[in-house]
Amino acid sequence: MHTEASSRRAGGRLSREDQRRLGDILQRVYDDVVRQGVPDRFKLLLNELKDEREAGQAQATAAYGQGEVHARGAGRGDVASDRTMDAKGIDDSRRKGPQR
Amino acid sequence: MTMRPSVRDAMLAAVPSLRAFAISLCGNVDRADDLVQETLLRAMANINSFQPGTNMSAWLFTILRNLFRSEYRKRRREVEDTDGGYAETLKSHPEQQSRVEFEEFRAALAKLPSDQREALVLVGASGFSYEEAAAICDCAVGTIKSRVNRARTRLSELLSIDSAEDFGPDHATRAALSAGGRG
Repeated sequence: MHTEASSRRAGGRLSREDQRRLGDILQRVYDDVVRQGVPDRFKLLLNELKDEREAGQAQATAAYGQGEVHARGAGRGDVASDRTMDAKGIDDSRRKGPQR
Repeated sequence: MTMRPSVRDAMLAAVPSLRAFAISLCGNVDRADDLVQETLLRAMANINSFQPGTNMSAWLFTILRNLFRSEYRKRRREVEDTDGGYAETLKSHPEQQSRVEFEEFRAALAKLPSDQREALVLVGASGFSYEEAAAICDCAVGTIKSRVNRARTRLSELLSIDSAEDFGPDHATRAALSAGGRG
């Protein structure tokens, strides 16, 4: 088996065989990382955000009872992502209309 | 109302591929993981801009790519860690031959211009279409195709792929011997 190195040089493109081999090892190098799965730090991160969000939700529920729904999450510091996720619950926003 | 499990699960499911992509960009596992973490935080902060029903993975890749380009690229010189962090992920690889092959390939990949590298990885490993990769990289489809082609050609030059034998076990053996010689 041989590749088409000469034609590649002439045409400036790789042969299909060269492309296949490059693609194969690229995929293996990539998959080697993918197979490591999800490191704990990311599981913990998403769990923490979920917990903080639920805590924020409890505050929001109380605020809502006082007619202050817009206080939800506001000024809760640096985890802006959490309240945003809370406010936008992807499918809920469709069912319940705009929420901010 | 709690965080929708589907959103959290989709993010978690994307993490392995995000890490692989980030490592290909950064060349360093620790920096890549920081980049992934920042991506997840940014995604959750802007979850309202995610269109339900669209590809969560592509959206996260876009965020990661933009973060890398806007922030990490400024530190490119220190980020370029050709023998450091990434090698850590390979130490446990059971097949020495593959490890050598991986290291050689990874070193060649790191030498590509970042725009070519990201295009090649998105299309060639992450499983995105040319159209999706173009959207992620905010460029034309033809540009992605051109970058992928240039990346492949450059990689083949760096790896000296002139024959099938050059990329098989024999090649890995020679690379191992060569690596041993480099100390």
